[in-house]
Amino acid sequence: MIQFFHVYKQYFRSNEALSDINLSVERGEFIFLTGASGAGKSTLLKLIYKEEEPSKGQILIDSINSTLIPPGKLYKLRRQIGIVFQDFKLMMNRTVHENVAIPLLVRGEKKAAVEKKVNSTLALVGLSHRKRYLTSHISGGEQQRVAIARAVIGNPKILIADEPTGNLDTELSIEIIRILEKINASGITTIIATHDMNLINLFPKRIIKLDKGQLVLDKASEAI
Amino acid sequence: MKFMARAVQQALNNILRNKTVNFLCLGIIAFTLLVPGIFNYISFNLDRYISKLSENIEAIFYLRDSGNSAEIEKMLQRIQGNLLVKEVGFTSKDRAQTKFTQEFPELQYILAEFNNSPFPASIDVKFRADARNVVQIESFIRDIEKNSIIESVQLNLDWARKITLIKKFASFAGLFLSAILLIVSIFIIFNVVKINIFYRRDEINILRLVGATDWYIKTPFLLEGLILGFLGGLLAGGLLLVIIKVFPVYAEFIFNIVKQLIDFRQLPLRIFWELVITGSAIGLFSSFISLRRFIKSTPG
Repeated sequence: MIQFFHVYKQYFRSNEALSDINLSVERGEFIFLTGASGAGKSTLLKLIYKEEEPSKGQILIDSINSTLIPPGKLYKLRRQIGIVFQDFKLMMNRTVHENVAIPLLVRGEKKAAVEKKVNSTLALVGLSHRKRYLTSHISGGEQQRVAIARAVIGNPKILIADEPTGNLDTELSIEIIRILEKINASGITTIIATHDMNLINLFPKRIIKLDKGQLVLDKASEAI
Repeated sequence: MKFMARAVQQALNNILRNKTVNFLCLGIIAFTLLVPGIFNYISFNLDRYISKLSENIEAIFYLRDSGNSAEIEKMLQRIQGNLLVKEVGFTSKDRAQTKFTQEFPELQYILAEFNNSPFPASIDVKFRADARNVVQIESFIRDIEKNSIIESVQLNLDWARKITLIKKFASFAGLFLSAILLIVSIFIIFNVVKINIFYRRDEINILRLVGATDWYIKTPFLLEGLILGFLGGLLAGGLLLVIIKVFPVYAEFIFNIVKQLIDFRQLPLRIFWELVITGSAIGLFSSFISLRRFIKSTPG
């Protein structure tokens, strides 16, 4: 599903964010991407959804070389990837419903279909009761679930979550990972960037660890 | 259709969200379009006035006695064939004498001194009412004057020359001012759209990341410029109409002559639509260049 071949990312001459990354992610896998702050987790995720370009190397997403996708066709790639951002990136002056519906609206889906999918997705993340609330009027944990709902409503092939539990307490964090697990069970390849080892230990999944831009570990959870 | 409806709604929301900036922008666009509108209107009226006076433009070509009837006939045909000419008449020497006798019977005794008519034969030419271009008429007359059978020309064109000069000045001043104000207008809409893009940069980024196409993101901004320009044009047309209706009331006391010269009361639909179309075009163009500069298609 996702393949990295000798991928490098350099921001400045002396600052190598990623160095010679080779990895392969199969369809339907659930992966924790871990490492200390500044290890390169976010950069690696950004390369997948092409917010950043690699300095060197090739990235294949569903067998398509993403480096060759022209800017005008980028939306096709982005529609295959659901993204949960560390800072949520929600429209705070819009309702929960409006935020979750956006990926469908940009695809021009019909109102009735949008309504149906928004309802079922909000039910999946347990937010049906907050549907008409302004996003700025709900809690941080609920905002995180809105972000997850928005990421999965378009039925993506890949779900990427960058520190989805970063601002949440342990109980809420576990709840969020359980929701992501449930989504993964429907066949969506899921990659979660987190530095919370306690959380990783609770869920036995494949782990990819980065350190100073290098891939230092790629193993199943129990091996740590 | 659904896409356009959403884009229009989004554009209107943007305009209403930043009311102060957008209404200020609207006022400036209306003013910048009003000035060319006024000049265009003055120019239009002068054109009409020249056209009206053109009905009275007459040239009398006095012929040499040496000219034979074949040459005169050829000349008459040549003049008649010109598109500027409405009517051509020939006055023979004898006819000229008869006319003189009829018009000035008290001076008949002078003619008794002559054996033949002392008056030259002449070709009298009246020009068409739509012959707006005085320069064309002058050029035509100069051309005819070169002919050997023509002795002299009498022409009542001085006033037309003066009005044409005023019209040229009005057009030039109008064009110059309009160009400056249109650039100002483009600059203002450009910056208003830029501000709106800045306000909505997070939203634009989110839309991009969830798979919106470039056009989905850009269309509301383009429409915003178009709507501002369109409304600015409408407002300018409305203001021009008010000025046209109100100004003559004062002009009657102050500029009696000007009032006689120019028909103030009508705003031609052509000028009104020109303002609206120019406004819309400026709006669309300004937002287009703003979008080109501030929304890139590249990642992130």
